[in-house]
Amino acid sequence: MDAEMEVAGTQPEIDWDGGGGGADAVLGLAPAGASVSLCYHQAFGPHSDIVLLEAGDDLLPDLLQGRVTVRGRPDEEAVLCTPSATYSMKFVGTSNSVFLIPPGEPSASCLRPDHTKGDANAADAVAAAIKLAPGSIELVRTAPRLDKLRSLLRERPYVLDEDLGDGFQHKKGLYTWQDLCNCIQASDGELLDGLNTLSAVEIDGFWRTVDANSVNTILDVILHNSVLHDWPLNAMPETDVLSVMESDGFVHKIVSHCLNRFGKKVEQEARSFWSLDEKLVCLQFARKVLGAGKMKLANFMDKWERSIPSGMHADLQMLEGEVLFEKLGAETWVHAFSVADLPLTPADRFAALFRERVKWEWKDLQPYIRDLRVPGVSSEGLLIKYTRRTQPSSEAEPIFTAR
Amino acid sequence: MEIRVRCGCGESSCPEWAVVELQGVVQPQASFAGDIRGLHIGRLCSAPSPSATSKAGYTFTVGYHELAGTKVTLKKPLLVLRKKKVGGGGVGDQEPPAEVELEVIGIIRHKILFKDRPKALISKPATKEKKTVQPAEN
Repeated sequence: MDAEMEVAGTQPEIDWDGGGGGADAVLGLAPAGASVSLCYHQAFGPHSDIVLLEAGDDLLPDLLQGRVTVRGRPDEEAVLCTPSATYSMKFVGTSNSVFLIPPGEPSASCLRPDHTKGDANAADAVAAAIKLAPGSIELVRTAPRLDKLRSLLRERPYVLDEDLGDGFQHKKGLYTWQDLCNCIQASDGELLDGLNTLSAVEIDGFWRTVDANSVNTILDVILHNSVLHDWPLNAMPETDVLSVMESDGFVHKIVSHCLNRFGKKVEQEARSFWSLDEKLVCLQFARKVLGAGKMKLANFMDKWERSIPSGMHADLQMLEGEVLFEKLGAETWVHAFSVADLPLTPADRFAALFRERVKWEWKDLQPYIRDLRVPGVSSEGLLIKYTRRTQPSSEAEPIFTAR
Repeated sequence: MEIRVRCGCGESSCPEWAVVELQGVVQPQASFAGDIRGLHIGRLCSAPSPSATSKAGYTFTVGYHELAGTKVTLKKPLLVLRKKKVGGGGVGDQEPPAEVELEVIGIIRHKILFKDRPKALISKPATKEKKTVQPAEN
């Protein structure tokens, strides 16, 4: 293909204003007998700054109205992001000669083979090709790449009273929304979902996760105050909670964040109340109890039940996807194993699961994979791809192992 | 880093580009030693259509080869993007790196595709352009 490319390459590139191609002459070529001469544009060349992007009609509005960005580090495979979706960009080449003809008024002449400038009286339209396209970029919808988000935000979780210590002045490990957009390959909408899944909160312009001990402390103080001030756990008056917590030394923002994390806001008679969610609160206490490592089940249940607020009931169902049970001899032991700590990409997720346990029964496995989302692949598809399913007998439960 | 994709034209007025696609390669004759910029390639004609319902046909004559093709509507339109460096790029470490922007400068919805073997017009005298054919692409 390259004789002409070589020739063009050795000449200095001529500045091109983006037009001069006469595309309309080609697009509007009237049927039955009209003709146009196709020439190399005066500024014909490699023009490697011009690329073609395949865009389905569903993407066109976002693309044409400036709502799209390309994200990624130079060493990563680029992704294209609309406000709510992420697409991988794949260059697909062609060996055909694809002449690109820009719009605009064509120059009136082109050099004919015999060095004349064309028939003086021909009403010949002229069109000019500015470059040969080597291919185009195709977009494939892909899952947002959010694993990095978790590791970034864990660099420096927010700790209560952190601004009172030394060494707070440096900004290392702190990320603003714009910093995250620059490093994380996900659309704004998916990035925000990712932040919510991590229970992250924006403090002084930086997105932070909150250190677990701090969360437990705040929750304990809220519960302690609710007893002290007779706040029903399903209807805690917002203004009272915030002002009492503030006088106890806890910033509004963090208290609101915890209330939102463990409860729901309810409006009644023009006042806001917070209703704590039993499952979320009990789960947090279970995590605290298991913080020291694996325990015998009876021991765990006892400690757990004694730690939760009165009026709430502990139920093992709440711990799905958060703990694993194993039989060692005659005893059942339990330890923390949270789906929130596992990788988000299917290959890495299944690898982590099979490292933890070689064989899984469906009822144990399901809570640890139901959050996996891959565009175009169903959960059955993921199982087929990453696991081997065996069933010892028709009455027995199927067992999943690594493929 | 984040590269914004801008579009100065807006949805309704994105200028449409034309595309002529053929299998194979077009080359100036070996005896041609000049700059190909501005050089005539061939003549594109709309063929007279035998009936009102048949697809619009086109011929493209390059040298003594005549190609027959049709206008194809792309299943997915192509956008023409131009990469631009914006700002920065000065000398020295202090300068922030030049930012890259992508701008939509056109849209392609159709192409005129020639994929059949060329017909040799043996009665025409040889001209400066010739066509070589590559193995067919799908």
